[in-house]
Amino acid sequence: MSTLAATDLYVRLGSREVLRSTSLTLPRGRLVLLAGRNGAGKSTLLRTMIGAQPADRGLVLLENKAIVAWPDRERAQRIAFVPQQVDVPFEFTGRQLIAMGRYPHSGRHEEPTEADGEAIARAIAAVDAAAFVDRAVPTLSGGEMRRIAVARALATEAPFLLLDEPTANLDLEHALQLVALLRRLATNGAGVLVASHDLNLLAPHCDHVALLHEGRVYSEGPPQQVLWPGNVQAVFGVQSRSASGFFPRDFRL
Amino acid sequence: MNPGRRLVVFGGALLAIVVLYLGLVREGPGFAALWQWCASWFGGAPLDPVDEFLLANVRVPRVVVAAFGGASLALAGAVMQATFRNPLASPDLVGTSAGAALGGALAIVSGAVALGVVAVPAVSLATALLVTGLVFVLARSHGRFSVATLLLAGIALNTLVGALTSFVVTFSFSNYTASSTVLFWLMGGLEARTWEHAAITAGGFVLFGLMVVPRRAELDVLTLHDDTAHSLGVDAPRVRRWLVLCACGLTAATVSNTGGIAFVGLVVPHLARLLVGPSHRVLLPASALLGAVLMVASDLACRLSPPEANLRLGVVTAFFGAPYFLFLLARHRRGEAL
Repeated sequence: MSTLAATDLYVRLGSREVLRSTSLTLPRGRLVLLAGRNGAGKSTLLRTMIGAQPADRGLVLLENKAIVAWPDRERAQRIAFVPQQVDVPFEFTGRQLIAMGRYPHSGRHEEPTEADGEAIARAIAAVDAAAFVDRAVPTLSGGEMRRIAVARALATEAPFLLLDEPTANLDLEHALQLVALLRRLATNGAGVLVASHDLNLLAPHCDHVALLHEGRVYSEGPPQQVLWPGNVQAVFGVQSRSASGFFPRDFRL
Repeated sequence: MNPGRRLVVFGGALLAIVVLYLGLVREGPGFAALWQWCASWFGGAPLDPVDEFLLANVRVPRVVVAAFGGASLALAGAVMQATFRNPLASPDLVGTSAGAALGGALAIVSGAVALGVVAVPAVSLATALLVTGLVFVLARSHGRFSVATLLLAGIALNTLVGALTSFVVTFSFSNYTASSTVLFWLMGGLEARTWEHAAITAGGFVLFGLMVVPRRAELDVLTLHDDTAHSLGVDAPRVRRWLVLCACGLTAATVSNTGGIAFVGLVVPHLARLLVGPSHRVLLPASALLGAVLMVASDLACRLSPPEANLRLGVVTAFFGAPYFLFLLARHRRGEAL
């Protein structure tokens, strides 16, 4: 089965060991939530899994081949990424930013093809961005910029999609739309890994949850098994109450 | 007007300003001589040999240096602003111009200039790379370039390199000819430019420009964060190193032949972005054309000014550049991007 798998990763940033023996597998057809406190290593794990952050030890395998062994553009055709920071210092329009998602396919020289145009149009429709896609960056809100960033990742048409806090800055309607979109992508065969603090929004729609704590996967499995009050207390340091054996609620310090 | 048509307009403007440059004079051969010279290529009556010499060996190489120099500096600025993800980056800010100027000054006072016409450009390129590399290393914080770190590193290195250049000048005061040559050269100017200078400036533009232009789509992607660029298949650190090398080459090939030319590398890409948008597919040729227009127009102003004013090219470009900065400031206050 086609997977993106991190095995026994150790990553040190400066003097701090951010990831310690971290392993996580993202199969296609699954929506996986990566949760944990600030500084737990979620973003570093995502960056390592896309190959942007070298691991001190351990291995990331994309379709059973080391991530570092993939040619840049071939890797980019298979893994798309939405970072936390989505700011752009120049006045590109939303459409131009989304069109950059076709770079792995078109490369340096080729003119945009009909397939590029169709992929961009689908991505714009998927994030409901038609109303603002032709506006320039300074006139776009934080939420609109995030939807543009998600559309750019979708335009790559990669089978694996990794997103870092994709619902940040989104209003409730568009956050729910995005979660439904990610669910739909996973159901249609994509492997989707979402690092988020928004447990209430995402967990009910996920197939799998991994709790990252102090650089290690503390617990992982189906949401019902992982997100119980004991784990929430251990990882987030807050008390909660479980309703009908499932998702914790009534968080208290 | 779509960006492609605007490029045609810029090309037309460049052609017009070059013709004006060649024909508008305070003294010497004017438009009539220029017309007669062009007609002589197609069987017309030959031009007076002195006028022909002045046009072919004084004015044309000078306008070639001005046009390709302006195009090179503007292209270098556009490349640096994208690679550093910073609209304030330019060959002036990141020390490339100061490094090239130090190399040029060293080459002149050490007498290396006598070794051949490529001596000044070669030493300029080496020092430009060295200083830009140092700014690059110092400005990098956790793998990123912020406005603050780039400004601090740029100011620090520009100050240090400027002081070293001043020291080179004062140290060589005993050699009046060399030190006065360096001083005049540092203020920027195109007097006594020959076809060798024109060949180096144009050659630098063609060589390094040809290395930059195929990277235009990557330049767009580099304006995103490095992680995003990586996820789109662009190895940002490697591509950035290559592009900064090209920007250094463009700057050194120009500064070594023109001296210090302020603001062209910073202001022209901004102006081009306002007119054709930020996509490098159009921005690169637009910057090059507008840089050439600005530099030729500035040198024309120098040539037409009274000789006693001794107006220097670097002074004229600064007169264009400083008000444009105030315009950018006003836009920024209205909430628009720099």
